[in-house]
Amino acid sequence: MPKKLALLTTNFFNPAGDRIIMGGAERYQVDLCRLIKKLGMDVEVWQIGDGWTKEFDGVKIRSIPATKSEFNTFPELNMAFYENAMSFDYAIYFILALAFPIVHEKSIAISHGVYWDWPGFHISTGRQEAHQEWIRRMGVALTGPQKLVSVDTNTINFFNGTLPGNYNKWEYIPNYVDTDLFCPKERKEPEGEKVKVLFPRRMVPVRGVNETMRAAEILTRRYPWIEFHFCGRGHDDKVERLMTQWINTQERCFYYWKPFEMMPEIYQQADIVLIPSRSTEGTSLAALEAMACGKPVIAGLAGGLSDIILQGYNGYLIKPSVENLVNAIEELALDKVKSKLMGNRGREVAMSFSKKIWEERWAKAMSEVFR
Amino acid sequence: MPKLTAMMTVKNEGNRYLKRCLEALEKYVDEIVVLDDASTDETPEICLKFPLVKLYRNESSMFLVDESKLREKLWHYTIENKPEWILAIDADELMEESGIKEFPYLIKQKDFNAISFRLFDCWESEEYYRTDGIWNPWLRGFSIYGVKYQPQLADHWPSLKFHCGRFPLAYRKLLSYETTLRIKHLGWIDSNLNKAKYERCLRQDPNFEYMSKEHYESIIYPPEKIKLEKWVELL
Repeated sequence: MPKKLALLTTNFFNPAGDRIIMGGAERYQVDLCRLIKKLGMDVEVWQIGDGWTKEFDGVKIRSIPATKSEFNTFPELNMAFYENAMSFDYAIYFILALAFPIVHEKSIAISHGVYWDWPGFHISTGRQEAHQEWIRRMGVALTGPQKLVSVDTNTINFFNGTLPGNYNKWEYIPNYVDTDLFCPKERKEPEGEKVKVLFPRRMVPVRGVNETMRAAEILTRRYPWIEFHFCGRGHDDKVERLMTQWINTQERCFYYWKPFEMMPEIYQQADIVLIPSRSTEGTSLAALEAMACGKPVIAGLAGGLSDIILQGYNGYLIKPSVENLVNAIEELALDKVKSKLMGNRGREVAMSFSKKIWEERWAKAMSEVFR
Repeated sequence: MPKLTAMMTVKNEGNRYLKRCLEALEKYVDEIVVLDDASTDETPEICLKFPLVKLYRNESSMFLVDESKLREKLWHYTIENKPEWILAIDADELMEESGIKEFPYLIKQKDFNAISFRLFDCWESEEYYRTDGIWNPWLRGFSIYGVKYQPQLADHWPSLKFHCGRFPLAYRKLLSYETTLRIKHLGWIDSNLNKAKYERCLRQDPNFEYMSKEHYESIIYPPEKIKLEKWVELL
């Protein structure tokens, strides 16, 4: 009999179970489930919802009617999962906070990066006592699982400075890119005609979309040969409408999103890729994909981006203010030799974040806990 | 590459958008199944000029009698042609140009068995679309226009005589990939025809079971009550 693994997350589908928007976290989960199956285990996913069961990519997804969140943890969901998934041999807590207050004996929790550097987080746990309670709960969440996997070193450093007792549990497994799929390719248009700047993120403030829009307004007025491509979903229909309306008022700015299978081409057609996150960042899949396609990356100083971008080597790490963005984009747009060199180095760096390496590291981590 | 079959019902489209619509479809579909609902103009002749079209004809019109029976008939003709993916599009709907490039990727992906789009109702001209009330394409959300044919799914249709949908019920419940591609609906552009359409709506739905009275009224709103936005190419 194959061993059974249950993975707990919050929202893979929306709670009604009728919509899914595939972003980085969703792709990570699909790839992880595929690997678990490849390693000979059965896997099921559990999440918030009113009791429906669905299937995605051959994996059963069950929902638990537990929506309550307190101090940025989900104790009700956690405990319902603990009781209901008793027949499973192993568990993965897809988000660190989901491991509070209790976990299955053989379990791993994952951090996708620090999300408490987002200003809004301080609104929900703003008071000193609330913040202390959140930290206390995170301490409990870290204590339960046998192993803690982090996609970046930033999270590990934060917790080593805050809750140092878990030092030996941490495993650094950075994000990954399929370097065969995402590879450099010659541009269709002759070089030197246009400079295409790509923002391949969700249209949300923490990703620096507002700063990028202002920078695009400035630079498209300054240079007739520069183009900005905003490629990604909004968090809701209203944002997508606003983006469409804004594009309407701009010259040489474009807004769309594309299926994953088309993304290599989108990167290959770009000259400069922006990942100007202000917060809530791990080792961004989009940044790694851009690098693997041989593009220089201008990244925000947030989360684990400093694990994959070396300042001045394969891109820039900036505080993503409008002024800093304009300067960094301008420098690379005007210096094609430097831009190309940085892109080539990006490809080299991306090779050590290949999906194959990611799978090997995960397989090893799982073999140490799931036995 | 999976086969992509477009299906549509047509009736007296001779002086409308049929030719343009078929020309556009030819660029990205493999086959077009057309059910002509007893046209009295040159609609069938236009269809037959397109090598990809497989034309079926009704002796007498079903559209105003029972739209769901008409759609069901079209569905059965379509699946007789062994489709892999099916695109249900009307003769006055145009897919965004970038769809030509994107469609092969959409039907190659394996995560979703349905593809949904936002529909934009062009108003007065192709340059503008309507955004007041539920004409707002963002408020209305995404609708499924493309599905992967799955013989194991039931092909029941709701017994609605009006607004009965384009696919069997089981397909409408599929989880869909929401595309960036917009569909331009040209059917409301000619304002001379809107009054007649409005009256037809009232005749078919006198008790406002399918749509609110206000929405039907909005078809004949005076210009000052109508909100429009300009259509721009996104890529």
